Amino acid sequence: MDFSILIQVIVAGLATGGIYGLIALGFVLIYKATSVLNLAMGEFMALGAFICFTALTMIHVPFYIAFAITIVFAILLGIVIEPLILRPMIGEPIISVIMVTIGLGAILRGLMYMIWDPTYRAFPQIFSPKPLKLGFAVVPSGLLWGFIFAVITTIVFILIFKFSRTGVAMRATANDQQAALSMGVSVKRVFALSWSFGAIAAVIGGIVIGNISGINIYMGDIGLAVLSVIILGGLDSIEGAILGGFIVGILQNLAGLYIDPLVGGGAKDVAPFFIVLIILMIRPYGLFGKVIIERV
Amino acid sequence: MRCGDYKENYIKDEEIFQSRFVKFWLALFFIFLIVFPFIANAYMLYIANMIGFAVIGAIGLNLLTGFTGQISLGHAAFIGVGAYTSAILITKYGVSFWLSIPLAGLVSALAGLVIGIPSLRVKGLYLCIATLAAQFIFGFVFVHWESMTKGITGIHIPPPVIGSFQFVTEKDFYWITLFFAVLGVGYARNLVRSRMGRAFVAIRDRDLAAEIMGIDLFRYKLTAFAISSFYAGVSGALWVSFLKVVIPEHFNFMLCIQYLAMIIVGGLGSVIGSIFGAIFMTLVPEILNVLSDVVKSYTPGMGKLIIPFKQVVFGFLIVSFLIFEPRGLAEIWNRIKKFFTLWPFSY
Amino acid sequence: MKKAGLLILSLILCLGPFSIAMAQKSPTICAVHPFTGRFAFAGIEGSAAMQDVVDMANEAGGINGKKIQYYWADGEYKDDVGIAAFKRLQAQYNPQIMFGQSTGMTKALGPEIKDRYKVLYSAYTMTSEAANPKENPYLFIAAPTYAEQFGVLLKYIVKEKPGANIAFFYSDTEFGREPIAAGREMCKKMGLNLVAEEIAPVGGVDITTQVLDMKAKKVDYCIFQGYVSNPIVAVIKQSKDYGLNAKFMGTFWSTELQLLRELGPLADEYIGVSAYSFYYQEDLPMIKKIREWTKKKYPKVEYRSQSYMENYLTTILFVECFKRADKMSGGITGDNLVKALQSIKNFDLGGLMPPVTIKDNSIPVGRVYRGNSKTVRFDPISDWIRME
Repeated sequence: MDFSILIQVIVAGLATGGIYGLIALGFVLIYKATSVLNLAMGEFMALGAFICFTALTMIHVPFYIAFAITIVFAILLGIVIEPLILRPMIGEPIISVIMVTIGLGAILRGLMYMIWDPTYRAFPQIFSPKPLKLGFAVVPSGLLWGFIFAVITTIVFILIFKFSRTGVAMRATANDQQAALSMGVSVKRVFALSWSFGAIAAVIGGIVIGNISGINIYMGDIGLAVLSVIILGGLDSIEGAILGGFIVGILQNLAGLYIDPLVGGGAKDVAPFFIVLIILMIRPYGLFGKVIIERV
Repeated sequence: MRCGDYKENYIKDEEIFQSRFVKFWLALFFIFLIVFPFIANAYMLYIANMIGFAVIGAIGLNLLTGFTGQISLGHAAFIGVGAYTSAILITKYGVSFWLSIPLAGLVSALAGLVIGIPSLRVKGLYLCIATLAAQFIFGFVFVHWESMTKGITGIHIPPPVIGSFQFVTEKDFYWITLFFAVLGVGYARNLVRSRMGRAFVAIRDRDLAAEIMGIDLFRYKLTAFAISSFYAGVSGALWVSFLKVVIPEHFNFMLCIQYLAMIIVGGLGSVIGSIFGAIFMTLVPEILNVLSDVVKSYTPGMGKLIIPFKQVVFGFLIVSFLIFEPRGLAEIWNRIKKFFTLWPFSY
Repeated sequence: MKKAGLLILSLILCLGPFSIAMAQKSPTICAVHPFTGRFAFAGIEGSAAMQDVVDMANEAGGINGKKIQYYWADGEYKDDVGIAAFKRLQAQYNPQIMFGQSTGMTKALGPEIKDRYKVLYSAYTMTSEAANPKENPYLFIAAPTYAEQFGVLLKYIVKEKPGANIAFFYSDTEFGREPIAAGREMCKKMGLNLVAEEIAPVGGVDITTQVLDMKAKKVDYCIFQGYVSNPIVAVIKQSKDYGLNAKFMGTFWSTELQLLRELGPLADEYIGVSAYSFYYQEDLPMIKKIREWTKKKYPKVEYRSQSYMENYLTTILFVECFKRADKMSGGITGDNLVKALQSIKNFDLGGLMPPVTIKDNSIPVGRVYRGNSKTVRFDPISDWIRME
């Protein structure tokens, strides 16, 4: 076995896994507080990438300002969408809420089409294109920066949740809404904030992926593959999201290395789903998810 | 017209058609269904057939998700299994179309059983994603198992025959679709008022309590998966014989979403809701298309904007529908019926 | 009640325009364009091209005085929406010529077009099934099939480096897999080594294992199929990082300026095959004509892509078939249009392509271009290559 290839593959998997983890983080942040699986996450990503792109090319601001503009936009997106669309759906069966997010995704896609047209575009060069050369492996620039962003974002959110008042309030709401309400936590604000947080993670993911593969209004379609990551990590665990991302990224690449030659390709993309099924058999709530104890 | 609710025994309570009024309108509807193919053009018959397939598939999904509470994102995979089974049986083994339909349903039901096994361990959203995993795995199999499915080239299917008559056009196929749709609806409607139907609903509402009361969760959940997949398989088999070709790209995730949208917008846990939902999701995009054609001919410059706007409108319809009537079209239908039950004395 | 109401409403809506259109028998073209979905960039350009050619032809007098009617619908790049749109347009306008949105739709409708509709048909596809006059006489494409495009690229490779190591890099879709089997055959015949076949989904973010596999197998030329931009961009970028020294090639749909823009400084690494000249080749008479028309009608539009050119050429052929069929006995019917198509030999296209002869319902001619990162254009690096 050629170890240098194996190590290279694992390193690349780690980097890509970081990006998956970032998008998974978006899902988890929203699910944790509101128990909603937001299937419009892909469109949030694309929207974030387009806003950043427009800031960079139309207004010609340097990257850190464009980044800040995109983050502000994400916060606004969460604050606007949550009361408009999700609050009327409180109490409805979860599947209806998921369908609403799908409808929301369709609306966003249509709006993006009307505002920017559907050509494929290149993201302006914001990071140096030189790859990172570790002694035993090479990490391409796009993946490297994606990894860095993913790790920083995760750490920031973990810190927010652990130490800030807002974070504690969100954890309380996720645990027991009634108790949190009676302690003076504004559940409404928590809901809106969690959507903003999810949107932030999504738009960062969008910028990162736009940097790697260019932007286009349908780029959000990879959001689905990330679902296997959140199952692996547990739907409500932030650490689980990024760790799950790493694991899926590495396992996917290993599948590509060893299994693709056997089946003639394509195994790499199906592999995460096999992983999901196996994990669910052993640990139905994911590796780090909270085990729900039901009582009659 | 009856006024109020007055039943003297359980049998009357469980009746499907509870008054002569309902029976009259139902008979009228059936006459319309029979006359329809003679007044409609090929396009409308195409839509009618697609609605028929959607109805069968939607009822299947509703039995699983609406009645038994098991959220499934793998429905398209089961439709695909049925479709491919039927296609392979007809083209490779020379089985007649009429035999291949129930066989396709059975093979799909088997697949459903297998995919339903995780449902014992896994609940809610986690089950949802497990079925999604199954969806993608099946998709992979459809493309790569080339010796059976011919991969992406797909299989061309000859039209069904009875004796020497070939069901070639949409109008011919309409009768087949109508037959199976009526059969499917009738069976489902009876199923939900039977013991098994009540067990399903109990599992959805409070499965731990149901288990305590003696309902074997595993057995009934698996049965739900199997029956739901049977419906999906039949729907798929009919669909591809109609289209005369089966390619793996038809059974993608978007199809799952479409069926979910049908039962959610139509009404979870209601057979007539599935019918409404199927009609809504098939007809509304086409109506939007026709409307946009009309708008296009009056304002030629706006043509470009109409297209994405149609998407926005469609998404908007679904969202506002769910916000204002989360229980779906069936609930609106029930409210209209209740209003007329006591009309004009509804105070 | 609601059900019946909905059905009646839709009946009225459908019958409305239907009855208006009933009276026509003028030459009619109907098209299903992928206005939304992944191929939207092609749909918008393609439908503009059809509209332009029809307008130009009508301005020049139409078909012996009869104006050409042109109607279109959005197929959303989804097969069932596309097929429904096809049937709707057929029922409403009864066209003699139809244009479809994708490979999938073409395959699904093929047998029905042959047995039932009998209209001349082309589509946004270059599948070999549409270039098979024995099986599907009504289908044709105004371009080389994907297999023929592979042939053009392989012929070019054989001239540059005989016996080279080849890799096919394609997507797990119909569009991606279509020419692969033919490609394998051609490699064998031309003495090239097909050492690797890589598969990745459209838009895949991680293609590390595929690139490393190609590096391990010492690939000289990697041919992409089934993609428009991703992951071609990612593969080329990361190949530099991983030390894979291969030349990258693509077929028609990826040989567009939008790819070069995405590649930035790496644009020189990409070689593509295209069937038509480009919008910036202003010295060609047909290109000049297109540019003048575009400036007059759409002053804001700066560039027309190859998708535009493909539909442009197809529609010019449509118009020519209309003209020839009109002179035949029976007038403009599907069968006469097919005869007219087959009679097209050495038809002059003013430089858009060399003079066209329809062979086996396709035009097996292509040209190899290389990307230029400084001018962000494609420079031709071969002459027009004919596939036999």
